Amino acid sequence: MAGTIAGQDRRKAFMLLSPAYLWLTVAVFLPLSAMAYFSFLSDVPFGGKDWHFTIANYRAFFETGTYATLMWKSLKLGLIVTAVSVVVGFPCAYVLAKVVKGRAREALFLLVILPFWSNSLVRIFSWAIVLRGNGVLDRAVNAVLPWDVKLNLMFSPTAIVIGLVHSYLPYVILTSYLALQAIDDSLIEAARSLGAKRRTILWRLILPLAAPGIIAGAVLIFVPVVGSFMEPRLLGGRLGTYYGTVIEDQFVAVFNWPLGAALSFILLAVVLAILAAASPMLKRAAT
Amino acid sequence: MSNRFLAHLGRAYLGLILFFLYAPILVMAAMSLNASEFYQLPFKFSGEWYDRLWNNREILAAAGRSIWIAVVVTVIATTLGTAASIALFRHDFPGKRILQALLFPPIAIPWLITGTAMLIFFFGIGIGRGTPAVIIGHVALALPYVIVVVSARLASFDRVLEEAARSLGASAWQVTRAVTVPWILPGIIAGGLFAFAVSFDQFVVSYFLSEPGDTTLPVLIYTSIRKGFTPEINAISTIIIAVSMGLMLLAARFTKFGGDR
Amino acid sequence: MAEVRVERLVKAYGAARALDEVTLDFPDGGFFGLLGPSGSGKTTLLRAIAGFVVPDTGRVFIGGAPVENVPVEHREIGMVFQNYALFPNMTVEENVAFGLVVRKTGAAETAKRVREALELVQLGHLATRKTHQLSGGQRQRVAMARAIVTRPRVLLLDEPLSALDKALRVDMQIELKRIQREVGITTIFVTHDQEEALTLSDRIGILKDGRLVRHGPPREVYDDPRDPFTAQFLGDANLIEGTPEPEGLRLSDGKLLPGLKGPTIAVRPESLRLDTTEPTAPFRLRARLQQRIFGGAMGTCIIDWQGRPLKAVGRDADFRGLPDAGDVWLSWPKESTIEFRANA
Repeated sequence: MAGTIAGQDRRKAFMLLSPAYLWLTVAVFLPLSAMAYFSFLSDVPFGGKDWHFTIANYRAFFETGTYATLMWKSLKLGLIVTAVSVVVGFPCAYVLAKVVKGRAREALFLLVILPFWSNSLVRIFSWAIVLRGNGVLDRAVNAVLPWDVKLNLMFSPTAIVIGLVHSYLPYVILTSYLALQAIDDSLIEAARSLGAKRRTILWRLILPLAAPGIIAGAVLIFVPVVGSFMEPRLLGGRLGTYYGTVIEDQFVAVFNWPLGAALSFILLAVVLAILAAASPMLKRAAT
Repeated sequence: MSNRFLAHLGRAYLGLILFFLYAPILVMAAMSLNASEFYQLPFKFSGEWYDRLWNNREILAAAGRSIWIAVVVTVIATTLGTAASIALFRHDFPGKRILQALLFPPIAIPWLITGTAMLIFFFGIGIGRGTPAVIIGHVALALPYVIVVVSARLASFDRVLEEAARSLGASAWQVTRAVTVPWILPGIIAGGLFAFAVSFDQFVVSYFLSEPGDTTLPVLIYTSIRKGFTPEINAISTIIIAVSMGLMLLAARFTKFGGDR
Repeated sequence: MAEVRVERLVKAYGAARALDEVTLDFPDGGFFGLLGPSGSGKTTLLRAIAGFVVPDTGRVFIGGAPVENVPVEHREIGMVFQNYALFPNMTVEENVAFGLVVRKTGAAETAKRVREALELVQLGHLATRKTHQLSGGQRQRVAMARAIVTRPRVLLLDEPLSALDKALRVDMQIELKRIQREVGITTIFVTHDQEEALTLSDRIGILKDGRLVRHGPPREVYDDPRDPFTAQFLGDANLIEGTPEPEGLRLSDGKLLPGLKGPTIAVRPESLRLDTTEPTAPFRLRARLQQRIFGGAMGTCIIDWQGRPLKAVGRDADFRGLPDAGDVWLSWPKESTIEFRANA
């Protein structure tokens, strides 16, 4: 219906939108499709190599057990990091939203989420300096405690968890803070006027109302942690083999791209399943 | 327990969290000024590592490349993102919700997956590895952030202003330039700063898409760390943290993180 | 049920005093309206009785016992908030049951009392609704039911009707009064709407800048406001100033109002009579009618007297003989004159 106002309107919207979405298509959606295609190949189709369609790459995941074990290891890491972040971060968000008032709140909130917007690689590296044996943490602890402690956390699962919690903690603080801030103080006052004690108010009112925010934060942490590879590499040393590092290896060391693609796709399926399960909550958190 | 006591306890806890968040960064910054190459204590002040940094061609080249890429990404992502935000705000059409939902995969899917998928696709269509590939990837990652930030600003824009301008005879383009864009300018600036930060700090996608020997700064840092720490890396890392935090403080001036009350 | 008493209550926020030595008794079973302009301290007073505000000095008694050191949750109060503060994660029923559940009341007893409370506010049929599905008036009723179901000793209402539109507000006033009468609970409510305060309360207290300026039964306060602020705040009042002389109050136009002390007196708009010919009443003024405003059954006249605007309100029929504008006579009966004790 060219010429009508409605038609012109459509055309204008199309012109404004198409560059951005074309870009996303080329850079995200087509690559994901290409990866799906690749995951069914026997070898890379470049340089005149022989290749054919196969499901061997997926069979490798289910038959050898190695990859499944690593996936489970990564999922466990994700669960631990998420749980620690929620338990540590929620009270922090609560203090920010309900205890601190006025301009101090704005400044403190900014301070809490600021590290989140700085380079994560560099922050992981800073933990490597702190945690190494005979490093700063060792000396600090030994300066405080009278007996001799050997605290060699570097290259341990604990180091990986500390680094990841440090990286992703601001996420859950941010989303919980937003959810908590939306809870009108008069609701808490109403509950108190009805005789509810602190613990009751927390469990029956604050947690249910903040749940969408907490879950949004948890998902935002869990998903990238399951796919992490740089953090385990830098803080885990030889112990740092996880699902993500295996995918990394396929692309930069072993050059088995089809296997890497299949492993990536299995990870994507897991991630999408988690996002789908959490999406009703995420939607509630967004409104 | 009294309320006042609990409030103090809460503030102390908040302080502890801030300590946890900032202590390692401060330690790193301190070590970049420590004379010992192996982070030996006691601390002895030295500017040596910063001096060495200035003579390290490889690091300087990577830093320059990172900044240049980030600037290009910022310009492209901010332009495309702002246009898309305005269209999503102004027009109603079937499939709008789907378009809005499509912004989330680049944010929600782990970068490991996006990065490796881009590597495969760019090789398949002949772009291969290198700076163009990195730019294409970074723009895609930054676009959703720009659209979200600019849309948030647009949400507070009263459409009656546009209608008033139209009723006074302004064309759609004049309305956009004279009424809409000035209002959302803080959002556009904040979106641009986010885009810069996303690109400048980006490691994962750059790692898969950049050419060895022709890398961005984070990728160079990663490979250097894996070869063994050097205090020069401390120095450049400290600078990076300072730059990205400074940018975000600036962005915070233009947007309201987390709303206000 | 219990009577409430506050004694020399002081609460300062920085240099500003929200409450300044307020002493007041709220009789058992009464409906007490706290009235005042915004920032007068009326809400602070209510919240101090509830326990949300900790006074700097002074005492609060509920049922004769001091409660300054009793936290809100143990004061056995019921409170209705301005925005109702219904818990959005609970149904109507669950909201009303909340206070009973936290008191660990038995399930059967809880169900029975929730049902009774909802029936009292005529919402029995909406028990399983989510709160966001309710209209403003329904929310108000749920908030009421939730506040009284625990059988509190005192019911506190913080501008309970301000979020409703005019027509609904009048309905809810009647409803509120009925519920309060049926339950017989000591009720204290805050409002900035003087009409609401007059309609609902059997006693009112007027606050200004943190001080209690006047309290008593509404009619008594209305008829004898004792100070110009109360006169103008409660209802409407024309203030007339003059110079006191032995035989009466001498006005700036030379007229003498015999027997009045002054220097300031007030006359309610509804007490003013307008005539084109000089009346015989001893209290009469020459003034200029500026504007007649038709308001249906009632009419308003804006009058200029010595450069001061005065207002007269009456049935439209009373004003029928008057010109649209021009010189008129104002008069009022002696007993309608309000004299202030403060400046006597």
